[in-house]
Amino acid sequence: MKNFLLDYNLKVRLPILIFVVLAVFVITYYVSYAERMGVGYQPVQPILYSHKLHAGDLKIDCRYCHSDVEKSRQANIPSAKVCMNCHTQARTDRPEIQKLTEYYNKGIPIEWVRIHRVPDFAYFNHSVHVNKGIDCSNCHGDIAGMDVVEQVKDFSMRACLDCHRNPETTIKNIVPGKDAKNINNGPTNCAACHR
Amino acid sequence: MDNKNINSEKSESGKDTDREKSTPVKLIPDTAMQSQEHQNSQEKDINYWQSFRDLYNDPDFIAEKKKEFSPGALDRPDESSFSKFSRRKFLALLSASAAVAASGCSNFRDKGKFVPYNSKPESVTIGNPTYYASTCTGCSSVCGLLIKTLEGRPVKVDGNPDHPVSKGKICAIGQASVMNLYDPERLKNPVSGGNDVTWADADDKIIGELKNAASGGKEIAIVTNSVTSPSGKKLLNEFVTAYPTAKIYSYELVNDSPRNSAWEKCYGQKLYPVIKWNDAKIILSLESDFLGSEGNKVETSRLYSENRDAFNGKEFNRLYSVEGSASVTGLNADYRMILRTDAIEEFVICLLNEFLVKEKISDYAADTGIASKLSSYNLDAFAEANGISKEVLEHLISDLKKNQGSSYVSAGSSLPESTHIAVNLLNEVLGNSKLYSKEVSNVSQIPLSTKAELEDLANDMRSGKVGAVIHYDSNPVYHLPSDLGYAEAIKNISLVISMSEGENESTAVSSYVLPINSMFESWGDFQTRSTFISLQQPVIAPLYNTRQKEEILLTWAKGNKDAFNIDVYHNYIKDNWKAGVLSQNTAEADFMKAWYGALNDGVVSVKKAVVESAGETETVTTPTGFKPEAFTAGSQKMTPGSDFVVLLTRNSSLGDGRFANNGWLQELPKSVSRVAWDNYAAISVQDAKEMGLESNDLIKITTAGGELEIPVFIQPGAAKGVLAIELGYGRSECGTVGKDVGFNANKLMSKNSALTPWLMNDAKVSKAGGTYQIVTTQDHYAFDEPLYKDIQYRREIIQEGTYFGYKENANFLEDRHTKYTEEERDKLKVGSINKQYKHTGTKWGMVIDLNKCTGCNECVAACNVENNIPVVGKEQVGKHRVMQWLRIDRYYAGTPEAPKASFQPMLCQHCDFAPCENVCPVAATTHSPDGINGMAYNRCVGTRYCSNNCPYKVRRFNYFNFRDHFRDSIQQEESFSLMANPEVTVRSRGVMEKCTFCLQRIMDERQMAIQENRQVIGSNVKTACQEACNTNAIAFGDQNDESAEFYKLNNSSLGYSVLEEIKVKPNVTYLAKLRNVYETETEEGHH
Repeated sequence: MKNFLLDYNLKVRLPILIFVVLAVFVITYYVSYAERMGVGYQPVQPILYSHKLHAGDLKIDCRYCHSDVEKSRQANIPSAKVCMNCHTQARTDRPEIQKLTEYYNKGIPIEWVRIHRVPDFAYFNHSVHVNKGIDCSNCHGDIAGMDVVEQVKDFSMRACLDCHRNPETTIKNIVPGKDAKNINNGPTNCAACHR
Repeated sequence: MDNKNINSEKSESGKDTDREKSTPVKLIPDTAMQSQEHQNSQEKDINYWQSFRDLYNDPDFIAEKKKEFSPGALDRPDESSFSKFSRRKFLALLSASAAVAASGCSNFRDKGKFVPYNSKPESVTIGNPTYYASTCTGCSSVCGLLIKTLEGRPVKVDGNPDHPVSKGKICAIGQASVMNLYDPERLKNPVSGGNDVTWADADDKIIGELKNAASGGKEIAIVTNSVTSPSGKKLLNEFVTAYPTAKIYSYELVNDSPRNSAWEKCYGQKLYPVIKWNDAKIILSLESDFLGSEGNKVETSRLYSENRDAFNGKEFNRLYSVEGSASVTGLNADYRMILRTDAIEEFVICLLNEFLVKEKISDYAADTGIASKLSSYNLDAFAEANGISKEVLEHLISDLKKNQGSSYVSAGSSLPESTHIAVNLLNEVLGNSKLYSKEVSNVSQIPLSTKAELEDLANDMRSGKVGAVIHYDSNPVYHLPSDLGYAEAIKNISLVISMSEGENESTAVSSYVLPINSMFESWGDFQTRSTFISLQQPVIAPLYNTRQKEEILLTWAKGNKDAFNIDVYHNYIKDNWKAGVLSQNTAEADFMKAWYGALNDGVVSVKKAVVESAGETETVTTPTGFKPEAFTAGSQKMTPGSDFVVLLTRNSSLGDGRFANNGWLQELPKSVSRVAWDNYAAISVQDAKEMGLESNDLIKITTAGGELEIPVFIQPGAAKGVLAIELGYGRSECGTVGKDVGFNANKLMSKNSALTPWLMNDAKVSKAGGTYQIVTTQDHYAFDEPLYKDIQYRREIIQEGTYFGYKENANFLEDRHTKYTEEERDKLKVGSINKQYKHTGTKWGMVIDLNKCTGCNECVAACNVENNIPVVGKEQVGKHRVMQWLRIDRYYAGTPEAPKASFQPMLCQHCDFAPCENVCPVAATTHSPDGINGMAYNRCVGTRYCSNNCPYKVRRFNYFNFRDHFRDSIQQEESFSLMANPEVTVRSRGVMEKCTFCLQRIMDERQMAIQENRQVIGSNVKTACQEACNTNAIAFGDQNDESAEFYKLNNSSLGYSVLEEIKVKPNVTYLAKLRNVYETETEEGHH
């Protein structure tokens, strides 16, 4: 028996098409998930600053530069002046430091490229997390080991809720001097983050 | 390609065979057969043919018709004629270009930039607000401010708690003033003759011309609003020294001059004293809206409400009101008597007659001069003639008699001097001079210009004696009575300089328009009371190319454009203070410490001696003795006429009209009528009926000053023959928001007003024909409609008692249910079908004390600013789409002629069993464990089911992106985005929103609690409305914290929730209003 066009289209072509489209979508969805969430985002910054050198090798506390992290909902990006606390003396011969000095002397703010971001309709508060003893690395990864900072964790609502529901399994690092016992389940009601 | 063609040919031919063979014969062959039959066996129906070939039965055509396809349709196409650009190639190129384009993109979303400070000020913590004390210059009350700034931009304004007058509160104008700062229509550059010029050029030319004018003996007129700044006054004097022909004129659209001049005649001092309102047990208000628009209402309403607190142990005061308009004060009164405004003087003299001639309660009874003047007046006859209840009058007289020395009679600022003199005597007779403060007195820097002075100015301008006019942040073209001819006279002046923040009627006729700093960008010191001086400091650098008006004048006074620098006025004030207020600090270091301390506090108390040594401030001492001749000399000036009384009142949100371009203020409904966006002539029910007028009908009012067409609004409770109109509307030169909003009632004012500029009783009124739509946020329903009449009582939305009844039985509210039978009470007890969730930790709640609430709107203004509420515009308000999260409901009871009113702030009640939550199909509105009904905007799809199911109708839907929709998206201008509170989402079109109990502030407290490792403390959270409430009527806190003050209020016997019977368990508790009526009337006072 001969195959007719309609038959052929319906029975063979259409299912193949649907399968291919779905497969492509599903594969792309999962493969690109990390990218869409920004995981792996590692932009080039205006000054090639190394967290590995400062936070890792020199063991400068995160809070030396990000000084408002315990006081405010925002962990501030340090102003150029904070860098200049040391770099008026230290390594003034390096080209990147000279670039920094130029910014500082001219009074131009440095435009750092933003890496981590939660959407505007979600209100994340650094100080409540850090004061409870949740270490930066739980969300930001091992910044102290990165020459160029990249996003390593997913910043989706699912990721927030994972921790809020099961802090005992998801929170790996505690701020030195704080007690893990203080860390309870986080709030999971909408109004905790959305307002 | 070949394959495909073959394929398709195969299938097509297959299709043909298939159809003939396998499809049921009925379908296709049937029709084919029919058509064949039709053509062969029957005559052609010549009415239906397709072509001539068809009509004439061309055999070829018939043969063709038998086939499915026309000849040649199935021929193979000529491949050689194809483009060499094959389909494959096309697809390949398409995908390749897509791939190239895609590879050009970054694989990550751009998340923007972080731009930190280059050198962050030490006091700033990113994300946490910084507060600065300053002073509001929105009106001549100059209240203290506490400005909240975030990363250098002011986002919220509240009162300075250290300020002795405002005590942490501020009026709606102050609340909404951030919108003036960020107004995109502010003037941005100095303009001369329509062209932008540089400051240096403008200064240079102006200084030259001013010098010419001075040397040529021509007057330089500086026209300013009232001067409240000591340094500002010194500066003006220095300017006059530099340019000897300069003269200073100051005016205020609505002012206290009749009251002050009466005071001067009675006591010999220039300024009315400060009143201790909180010591007054009986207050008689005569057309005096001290809770609404008169004087410094922030202070008076606070002092008044101190004696309206059921829990602080103080006796309630009793407020009597006699008025022709229906004011906020009148509607708050325990007894309200309706009287034509121009009959008030007679009423006062009748009262004097009662006390002095009949009762002889004071030494003044022996004064024959006074007695003879009173002899012809009789209170009973007056009451009879004017329909005033005898019973109420008896109460008033016995109250005033019993409370001599602790009562106060307040005459409205619009009443003429003669009435004020009579009232001064009445207060003196009743011993109420005890309420005139001896500790503190009012201070004025420069007295307001008299009527004659302003008239001289206009005449001099016409006759060419004036060489230059400087509008010193004033708008006389709009404000001054039109028959003064100022607007015409100014055309004769070659050099007119207007300093203004925005475009106005006076800048339109100026040769130089100089943009000035807003109050957030300015330095200043202000003094209105003898005991303290307040400071103003800039909290943001000027947004545009503007200068402070004092800086400009100082530069000119120095006669050199290079004298200007950004700190010129800052240093000027500092130097003044070094020599004056802070002169005890001789060393520079001590002075700087004291100076920074003063800036930090915003106010400095001064001893009187210091002020005097500082120089030129008028000294004011306490009143010595009343001069009876003030009363006896003049004959009674105000006698009731038969024409209409027109009463022009100050608008409590637009001030004198200078805030017309502030959408928040325009959209704030008026306390009594709930009208937004317009003014109107409030007319009594009786007059409307007589003249056949409906609300919105236009009338024509003619007075000595001019005529005006304006729509009427039927105001229940207004006196027959009285039209009350608010000033500040009808601005013709203004930004897009305020231009031509409402009607300019200044036109009715006359320079020759017989009574006062704001009160005339010789107005002719006629129907003008036509209507003008005014919009309200709450209509007043028909009083006689059985369905609506007193619904607020029948549904127990408003619950009231009397003060006396409350003292007898504090639980009267609960006991009220004894009127139900046992069976009915059982029914009331039927539990809810919902299971109560146990809120174990914090549970937020609000208490609103209706005894203290005056319905003034300040809370609404504060809520707008805090929660990024958009302005929707008049048209949308008319469609009931106003977005304010908090509204004040006003209910009337009784008759339309003399109604009783109740005010009730209504906001999301955060019900335990919130009906909105059950119906949301996407769970966008949910409950939190601390009892808050939250909204997740990004989840909302806009079904509006929640709003439909809300019993309190407090949900607001974004029918548009109102920021975009209103007035060519002016609210989306860049400068307005600086104004938004970053702690609250800016909502877009299609989502529902409502009060969140200021969730962002609760979260701040949660953050502090975690930082300090403690529990959340309920009393640490203050909602925006609570913070703004002048009378502290709103309390907020944790309902589970039994130790807190809030707990007592929340569980007080006066507490009730609205629509209790539907059992949604609201978390907002209202405290029943207690009317302080006479003991004998308590029974009927109950509902």
